[in-house]
Amino acid sequence: MAKDKEVSKYLVEYGEPVGIIAAQSVGEPGTQMILRSFHLAGIESTISTSGLPRIIELVDAKKKPSTPITYIYLDEKIGKNFDRATEVLKSINEVRMGSIAKRVLENFTKGKIKVVLDKQELESEGVTIKHVAGKIDKALNLDSVVEDNGIVISMHTRNLKEIRAATINLMKMLVSGVDGAGKGTIRRDDKTGEFYLVSAGSNIEGIMQVEGVDRTRTTTNDVFAIYRLFGIEAARNSLALELKKTLKEQKISVDERHLNLIADAMTASGTIKGVGRHGLSGEKKSVFARAAYEETLKHLIHAAAFGEVDSMRGVTENILVGKQIPIGTGAVRLAIKKEDMAKIKPQTSKKD
Amino acid sequence: MTTKSDHELVPVHELMSEKEVKTLLDSMGMTLEGLPKIFDTDPQAVKLGAKTGQVIKIYRREGKREIPYYRVVVEG
Repeated sequence: MAKDKEVSKYLVEYGEPVGIIAAQSVGEPGTQMILRSFHLAGIESTISTSGLPRIIELVDAKKKPSTPITYIYLDEKIGKNFDRATEVLKSINEVRMGSIAKRVLENFTKGKIKVVLDKQELESEGVTIKHVAGKIDKALNLDSVVEDNGIVISMHTRNLKEIRAATINLMKMLVSGVDGAGKGTIRRDDKTGEFYLVSAGSNIEGIMQVEGVDRTRTTTNDVFAIYRLFGIEAARNSLALELKKTLKEQKISVDERHLNLIADAMTASGTIKGVGRHGLSGEKKSVFARAAYEETLKHLIHAAAFGEVDSMRGVTENILVGKQIPIGTGAVRLAIKKEDMAKIKPQTSKKD
Repeated sequence: MTTKSDHELVPVHELMSEKEVKTLLDSMGMTLEGLPKIFDTDPQAVKLGAKTGQVIKIYRREGKREIPYYRVVVEG
């Protein structure tokens, strides 16, 4: 209990403008971010958006991040073993027909397509010719025959257009891995010595189906993917975490409670809403608050045409008309209870 | 009724009884509409079988502490 008392001393008081404080706390160091942009050099294979562009992306609730990245953690036993981690990576890595084909020969007179496969590529991706042929039969519904170092596909037609279309489709075909997972790399956690995978895709739903992947820890920087998969509360955590991570990368220290508050405000409606014109600011109840922000005329004309009522409870609208703002001591609307009011007797002047 | 967490990011969700909701709202002096919302189509709400108007208690972990948070189920 003593600890609770200690904590309660630091609680925010009623009427504290926490939102404004949060906005300024993030905004001020944000001005430094523009001037200081890092240029990374090295073997980093997955470069993610960072700094201010990333913050804007998160706060605007963009449906897709510009550089989606999935952090794939592995089951405990596999994560300690490099070779087994490599196996899992191979089963996730997205391999298209186009990347393993050395040459493609179309024979229009006989209606045949011959694909010569690159042996080295096949080996490094861990797939066999037979496996590829089987995929062609299944996915594209074509007849294929394995011939020494390639696959011959016989078409039912000799139509030039159709054969060309089939070739294009064939090159796009997924040979192995998870659709949309991209190419991944193995990394080692310096603290625990555990191996984990980083992939430049965001198909977290597909990746979670792969054997050996730890479903409870695998995450992505795509907040909306988290929202679809685990719900609003996980999305809120992910959003706050991404904000914290981005600021930490830039060596900017902002108290995490400010960022938690932003994440809370963005997810309060049950879905993720951006902060700008189409989100929180654009959906305020008060006409004046909306008009003061952006598209002034649109809001005023709409309000006039539809007879909107402004209850003047917010900060913006009260500043606009020059009234006391409902913050701190100004937030108290009535300082006396109704029952107590009745006890007060009207004072009569003694002079009379 | 509570959910089992299926991911690091997902805190435990618990469906509150009507009585609990009433004491909660009275203690904070607010109405259901004032609470943050969660859609009935939300994966966690579906797990609990929550219906519109019910309140879900969420046990958020912040460091070592556990902080309760409340969301009212609305139509998604």
